[in-house]
Amino acid sequence: MSGKLWAVVRREYLERVRSKAFLVGTLLGPLIMGALMVVPIFAMRSGGKPLRIAVLDASGGLRAEVEEALRSARFDDKPRFDVRPPGEGPVAEREAALKEAVVEQRLDGFLYLPADVVESSGASYYGRTVSNRIDLGMVEHRVGEVLVSHRLETAGIDPAEAKGLTRGLDLRTIRLTEAGEKEDRGTAILFSIIMLMILYTSILMWGQVVMTSTIEEKTSRVIEVVASGVSPTQLLAGKLIGVGSAGLTQFLVWALSLLGVSLMAAGPLAGSFPLPDVSPLVLVSFVGFFLLGFALYSALYAAIGSAVNTVQEAQNFVFPVITPLILGLVCFPAILESPDGPLAVTLSLVPLLTPLLMFLRIVVLTPPMWQVLLSVGLLVAAVAAVVWAAARIYRVGILMYGKKPTFPELVRWVRHA
Amino acid sequence: MARRDRAAAERLGSVRERGGTLNDTALRLESVTKAFAGHVAVRDLSLAVPRGSIFGLLGPNGAGKTTTLRMVMNILGADSGRIEILGRPADDAARDRIGYMPEERGMYPRMVLEDQLVFMASIKGVPRKEAARRIGPWLERLSLAEWRRRKTNELSKGMQQKAQFIATVLHEPEVLIMDEPMSGLDPVGTDVMRDVMLDLRRRGATIVLSSHQMDTVERLCDRVALINRGEKVLDGAVSEVKARHGRNTVVLAFDGDASFLADLPGVVKVASFGQYVEVRMSDGADPQPLLREAAARLVVRRFEIVEPSLHDIFVETVTGHGREAA
Repeated sequence: MSGKLWAVVRREYLERVRSKAFLVGTLLGPLIMGALMVVPIFAMRSGGKPLRIAVLDASGGLRAEVEEALRSARFDDKPRFDVRPPGEGPVAEREAALKEAVVEQRLDGFLYLPADVVESSGASYYGRTVSNRIDLGMVEHRVGEVLVSHRLETAGIDPAEAKGLTRGLDLRTIRLTEAGEKEDRGTAILFSIIMLMILYTSILMWGQVVMTSTIEEKTSRVIEVVASGVSPTQLLAGKLIGVGSAGLTQFLVWALSLLGVSLMAAGPLAGSFPLPDVSPLVLVSFVGFFLLGFALYSALYAAIGSAVNTVQEAQNFVFPVITPLILGLVCFPAILESPDGPLAVTLSLVPLLTPLLMFLRIVVLTPPMWQVLLSVGLLVAAVAAVVWAAARIYRVGILMYGKKPTFPELVRWVRHA
Repeated sequence: MARRDRAAAERLGSVRERGGTLNDTALRLESVTKAFAGHVAVRDLSLAVPRGSIFGLLGPNGAGKTTTLRMVMNILGADSGRIEILGRPADDAARDRIGYMPEERGMYPRMVLEDQLVFMASIKGVPRKEAARRIGPWLERLSLAEWRRRKTNELSKGMQQKAQFIATVLHEPEVLIMDEPMSGLDPVGTDVMRDVMLDLRRRGATIVLSSHQMDTVERLCDRVALINRGEKVLDGAVSEVKARHGRNTVVLAFDGDASFLADLPGVVKVASFGQYVEVRMSDGADPQPLLREAAARLVVRRFEIVEPSLHDIFVETVTGHGREAA
């Protein structure tokens, strides 16, 4: 690397890494990611105190069993229900008293079992909150079990034996790859979404950085001085390498903090933390597709930045550039549904979409090697072509002040520069 | 420092040996023309700047000075004509031997001054360590030492100007191209800058500067060229240019009403400067009758026959009076 190119790389890298935006982004990134994964777990856990409920049994004879079933319901190793006595006296009176208790918040809710509950299998729950699906699902399940075992007994069948015979299906999902089999309970999808979002935002964000820094060099007029030392091509190359390295640095910080979190998770958070299982192939393709995607998009961004005078002027040009990226995100559910289907294969071979979609396919399945190689080959060719054209626009644009060029003018710059 | 200076001088010397015997011209423009959509910015311009001289490119706003310097720097391409720097075409290879200070100052606003200067030198091929060593004395000399670790946008305009100048000379260029180097400087700064430029010339550097500030140019430059509307209207050594305009300007300081001066025979123009007037007389006119007349009607405090100032020559040439020089 020539001394001049190195000087530009060094400046770009240090300027990015020392900026407040980098610090904030690098620190907040893992925090937000961590929050996305950890907060729901904590929220469910601390979903707080057990629910105070009572069982009003109009049928007689079921109350003790139902109460026992509810008491034994546990969530996260803690009893979920605090079962209170329903009081004494006629059913109608007690019902009124319980309703009052609920309204006055002495009770969270009560379960009303009508006289024919075993036959009709219908019951009612009264509560101030009836949107707590998980709790209500638990009530439904527990009480249902009690009713079923009652009916079984009436029919002369041993409930324990019946339970053994009617065991539900416990479906495990196992991903098969060339590397062997891995048990996977949905973390693959969660993980692929997170990785894809990181890839998307990083390519977009660092591309924008290249554009704004090019515009800044024009508005501060430093470009004339810089251009008297280095060639525009060297400047563009240095900028892409420097900013791309800053992006990689950010990933490195994130990867290390993720490693730290997962080591911590081995302690207090053990088990409940959905630790993604990252294969080296995924990591390598993440970095590789980031670099190629970044080179592709930031070269376009640099060309735009060099052709305009202000960030506002750039907006018209930016839209067509980021459309493919957005398209890639929109296609994501369809690709996930059928990662080996013709749509997925075709789209992942389009260079502007490859960084996102081929990466996604590699995360959720292992595509045939020829497809991966073909997509990377096409992408590399596209990067070379785009960087070449962008460099020509850049060369003319950085020293061109005044009117924003039209698209045909840009084409002319590429052809005649 | 001294050893380095010698090394630099030797380097310059060797360059002179290489190209000097063939060509003592640092910068040569031959029939250079540049047109932008609609108008011709520079038309058929030819200049020759001798090595080791300070050359002033003068002209009113929009005359084509900046366009000319940008073509010299290969930032703009000329439509036709030839530009040679140090005996070679003005291509990228020559760039490291040139220092360029553009009209609109350009620094990275959020960069620390010292880092900025090291960067500017390193893109001119100076190793970082060497650049860092050279910075100290320059910052001292231009009284920027205490601003070394400050960001550029915390510096005043004048300080940024000086910083830009350091960035221009840090790689010890053989040719300095400076667009309006003195604009925005206070008198102290102007003097320091002038001394530095004279110093650089003593060490063999060639300086090409553009300016509207005629007094600066007059005190600093060996040679000048005046361009107007893209065309050269005047060119030569400062003394030669002045001689061409004759010793026929009278400076007169007085008390009283001097409105009659303009009507005296031989008087072409009277320019009032508040404390005194400059009376331009036609070629060959005798100023003695003017002195007698003034003495009779005014209290004369000063009477002096001087060369016309570059300012006058500039104004006259540009406004179309006295086209004799064209």
